[in-house]
Amino acid sequence: MTDALHAVNLTKTYGAGALAVRALDGVSLTIARGTVAALLGPSGSGKSTLIKALGFVSPADTGEVHFAGRLVVKDGVPLADLAALRRRHLGFVFQKANLTSFLTARENVELACEFGGKPDGKRRARELLEYLDIAGRARSYPEMLSGGEQQRVAIARALANEPSLILADEPTAALDSVRSRNVMELFRKVAHDRGAAILVVTHDHRALDVFDVLYEMEDGRVRPRASAPHAA
Amino acid sequence: MNLALRDVRRHLARFAGTAAGLGLLLSVVIAMQGIYAGMVDDATILTRAMHADLWLVQRDTRGPFAEGSRLDPSVEGRAAAVPGVRSARPYTYQLLQRAHRGAVLRIALVGLGWPDDPGRTLPLVRGRRLQQAHGEMIVDASLGLGVGATLTLAGEPYRVVGLTKNALTSGGDSVAFVTVADAELIALDQPAEAALLERQRVVERLRRTDLGRGQPALADLATDPRWRPPALASPPVAAVLVEADPHRLAEVRQVMRSWGDVTVYSQAEEEALLLAGVVQRARMQIGLFTVILTITAAVIVMMVIYNLTLEKTHDLAVLKLMGAPRPRLLGLVLQQAWLLGALGYAVAWGLGALLFPQFPRRVLLTDAIALVAPLATMAIVTLASLLGLAHVLRIDPSRALEG
Repeated sequence: MTDALHAVNLTKTYGAGALAVRALDGVSLTIARGTVAALLGPSGSGKSTLIKALGFVSPADTGEVHFAGRLVVKDGVPLADLAALRRRHLGFVFQKANLTSFLTARENVELACEFGGKPDGKRRARELLEYLDIAGRARSYPEMLSGGEQQRVAIARALANEPSLILADEPTAALDSVRSRNVMELFRKVAHDRGAAILVVTHDHRALDVFDVLYEMEDGRVRPRASAPHAA
Repeated sequence: MNLALRDVRRHLARFAGTAAGLGLLLSVVIAMQGIYAGMVDDATILTRAMHADLWLVQRDTRGPFAEGSRLDPSVEGRAAAVPGVRSARPYTYQLLQRAHRGAVLRIALVGLGWPDDPGRTLPLVRGRRLQQAHGEMIVDASLGLGVGATLTLAGEPYRVVGLTKNALTSGGDSVAFVTVADAELIALDQPAEAALLERQRVVERLRRTDLGRGQPALADLATDPRWRPPALASPPVAAVLVEADPHRLAEVRQVMRSWGDVTVYSQAEEEALLLAGVVQRARMQIGLFTVILTITAAVIVMMVIYNLTLEKTHDLAVLKLMGAPRPRLLGLVLQQAWLLGALGYAVAWGLGALLFPQFPRRVLLTDAIALVAPLATMAIVTLASLLGLAHVLRIDPSRALEG
């Protein structure tokens, strides 16, 4: 499997002097296409900072990020148009669905298709909503959907631009255990069906068997956890 | 996908309410501009309606509108005799306030030089010009009198024979036109008791002279209201209006300027006197008020658009995180501002069409206002959206990743 994302020795420090906090301390990790990786760790361990760095939102101070084999960020300096990269190759799923409030479910997905430069966004949005079994609520606004429905629409949106990498930040935090597992299995299905690399930040240890790779994060450092049941 | 329209569709009632509020505010700004334009037009319409090339007024005065002017009526004949003059006619001007059928009428009474001038230059909308020397008048429609109505002035009935439109003074008073002779009658009108006392004083003064004592019949003559001593001059006029051959106008003016008892103004100078003197203060006040209102509208629109943008901060952060191109997000704010401006302007114009005709002062929506007001509205909303646009640029996409 080819690597979708490869991070090397990322560091990030907030503050300065005695108040300095090292959020990332030499983080290196690789996520291959078609795999679902979990990033575990307690609050304050640096997971969100890492997601921001890997999602090209807030670069690390030092280190390198390679995307699809290409060096795109080096020592905090972007070497590519990061917004365009996010638009065309990345998908995000959040703890809250974070759907655009003034667009219907279908329009949320359609807009992501448009940003990703995918033709026939309407048809694609309909197909994705059907794939995620939420087509019946296509014309509903986010506030009319339940938490689980919103999250499914958010996943459809994240898939709209056929991303190489999906970053999910605690996507099941607001869901009950059944729906949490459904969402995690959905990620696995997406990764395997569509060949996307998926990194899921989670506290939820009930569905770890779904993941191909487990990473554990503590004090800004990441290390692989051995007990990933689906590890190759 | 047009995000601005999608957002408006979702919050239609609130957006429509905001546009209506903005429309009300803009209608006040447009009304102020219209009142100002109406005031300027009112100030000059009366001079323009007279179609005079030159206005001869009392020496060293700025009459007859900006201040009083008393000109000997002989100036009319003198002016008519100047080579190059086509016509010279007397003109009087006075303000009256009379009760009529329970209402108070404020009238600017203009005397026309009958029979040479029966009101031929007046813009009549109904009826006809003056056809007799006494007892007829042409009035502005704003006075509320129809053709055939009768108004009693100086104890005598005056029948309305014609109506003008928008013949108003700078103060907004309606103008009525009568012959100069009638205007003098009305101006010199006295109550019966005052006339009696005046006659008694004349007789007593006469009896104290040798002439009066030697010719007692003179006392009877002096008390006869129909008699006028031939040695006495006619009452003064306010101005003499001169029309001249266009190619000899400068020459005519040069001759008249050499006369010691008159000051000569061209049509444009007479208008300038009105605008600079009579209207200037009101003009400045309305201008200042308009500026304050415009700034107020701009600030309110700015805050409305800023708040609309602020409410969408999280949505915008998510869109930024998804890699939305910057012009799309800026376009969302700008298009909403423009839509708000366009709707607000439409509301203002509609309100104006309904309400402005009911205003006590004339609200004149000139072509310039019709052209500039929408452009200014769009410029204001564009400027007002700057704060919102700056906010969009400042939004950190990583906010979308936080809780």
